[in-house]
Amino acid sequence: MVKQLVALLRKDVLLEFRQRYALFSILLYVVATVYISYLIFSNIKDVRTWNALFWIILIFASINSAGKSFSNESENRFWYYYQLASPQAVILSKIVYNTLLIWIISLITYIIYSWFLGNHVTNHLHFLAVVLLGSASFSGILTVVSAIAVKTNNNATLMSILSIPLLLPAVIIIVKASQLSLMGMSMAQNGAYLAGLLVLNLLVTAMGYLLFPYLWRE
Amino acid sequence: MKKNWWKVLAIVLILYSLIAGFLGDVPRRDILNESIRNLYFHVAMWFAMIAMMGASLGYSIKYLSGNHLNIDARANLFAEMGLVFSILGITTGSIWAKFTWGAFWTNDAKLNGTAITILIYLAYFILRGSLDDREKRARISAVYNVFAFVLMIVFIGILPRLTDSLHPGNGGNPAFSQYDLDTNMRWVFYPAVVGWILFGIWVSGIRYRLYSIKESLDQWRNDSSDQLH
Amino acid sequence: MEKRLFRPIALILAVMLSVGAKAQNEVAMADVMRENGKIYVVVAVVAIIFAGIVVYLISIDRKTNRLQKQVDELKK
Repeated sequence: MVKQLVALLRKDVLLEFRQRYALFSILLYVVATVYISYLIFSNIKDVRTWNALFWIILIFASINSAGKSFSNESENRFWYYYQLASPQAVILSKIVYNTLLIWIISLITYIIYSWFLGNHVTNHLHFLAVVLLGSASFSGILTVVSAIAVKTNNNATLMSILSIPLLLPAVIIIVKASQLSLMGMSMAQNGAYLAGLLVLNLLVTAMGYLLFPYLWRE
Repeated sequence: MKKNWWKVLAIVLILYSLIAGFLGDVPRRDILNESIRNLYFHVAMWFAMIAMMGASLGYSIKYLSGNHLNIDARANLFAEMGLVFSILGITTGSIWAKFTWGAFWTNDAKLNGTAITILIYLAYFILRGSLDDREKRARISAVYNVFAFVLMIVFIGILPRLTDSLHPGNGGNPAFSQYDLDTNMRWVFYPAVVGWILFGIWVSGIRYRLYSIKESLDQWRNDSSDQLH
Repeated sequence: MEKRLFRPIALILAVMLSVGAKAQNEVAMADVMRENGKIYVVVAVVAIIFAGIVVYLISIDRKTNRLQKQVDELKK
């Protein structure tokens, strides 16, 4: 199964590398959103607001990027994969791919956001750890929800309706963890929240692994 | 009577909680005063909701391993019953909050959890509504049910432990502490919970029978119209 | 009142009140107003409302059972 996983992952990464459609469109979305925020806020002095806006932008960027993970595949291609690969390999490769994509997006978002709206981060490693763990949890949850939503007809709205309530637990942990990191706490003190995020990621991936086979069959 | 003893039990337990709820002794607590009796009613709604959602989850899992549409109908009905309990819980909680905490809604971990639970299950019903093929609807919504339930448990169970809360006895631990569940109250509270759970099962059972009658009629209508043609 | 301050203040109030805890009537409860019999009116009202709901529930339960039996008969 690992070979299938790697193969599927390579396929997705290569596709993306050649066209770069998803990455650039999301980046454009992020730049536009950050710029609008800049026009509205100019410079955000309050740390909590800075943090909140950063995560809001990242949440919607993630929904847009991971939400498309399954809708790009056509019906026929899906049948093709069905013959060749195990469902577990498919879902895991999608989750890994989305996580990598979201990591790239979130790092670039962080850079662009700091560029325009100031940077309040003191302990970069700590904050980035929160960002990476947090966006990974978004990717996991959104990949599984996208697999569910792609089975229905009205994808876009349903995707948002299904995903936003499910993202909220992750969001609450992330906001607490990132606030603590911005206040200057060490990673050890933030341990509970960081561990919580890690557990959430593992849990979501495990659920995707177990449940995807049921979504898969037609 | 042999089949219906549990319905009688439901009535007896709820009636008992209603009477003892008002006449019984309760601990005297500041801020809460007499409204601490709300424990028997408001909190019982939440426990009943969890039981209903748990039943719905059970039937969803059973469907995934069996694929009988009746099982899916039960999962749906229990989720609906759970939603009813949750709406009752959230409105009664809101009113209680207005009188004790001063506002209808606050930024409290438990309240967030309940709001999100309601959103999650509303999304479940919207998902069901958007799928027409019955088998597909049952399967996809069962997957969502399992996924969402696990996340919900994480949220309701784990998060309140990580943060402070206005809820009595919480500020680290969402389970009841000595602070607000007096031994006397236990004697009325647990029977109330069991009573309301049985009540939920009763109502869902009636609705299930109505569903199955409708199914039979539809099938009969289809069969007879096939015969005519 | 800020959430942060709630517990310390509640704690202080509770300590202050517990000093006079011997006299049970420190916390305002409904004792006097209720124990003169009016509580029973509340209980009676609630019980009657609940009884009404239960009667309705039993009647629709019975009707559903009857319908189900009819359908099962027809199915044969």
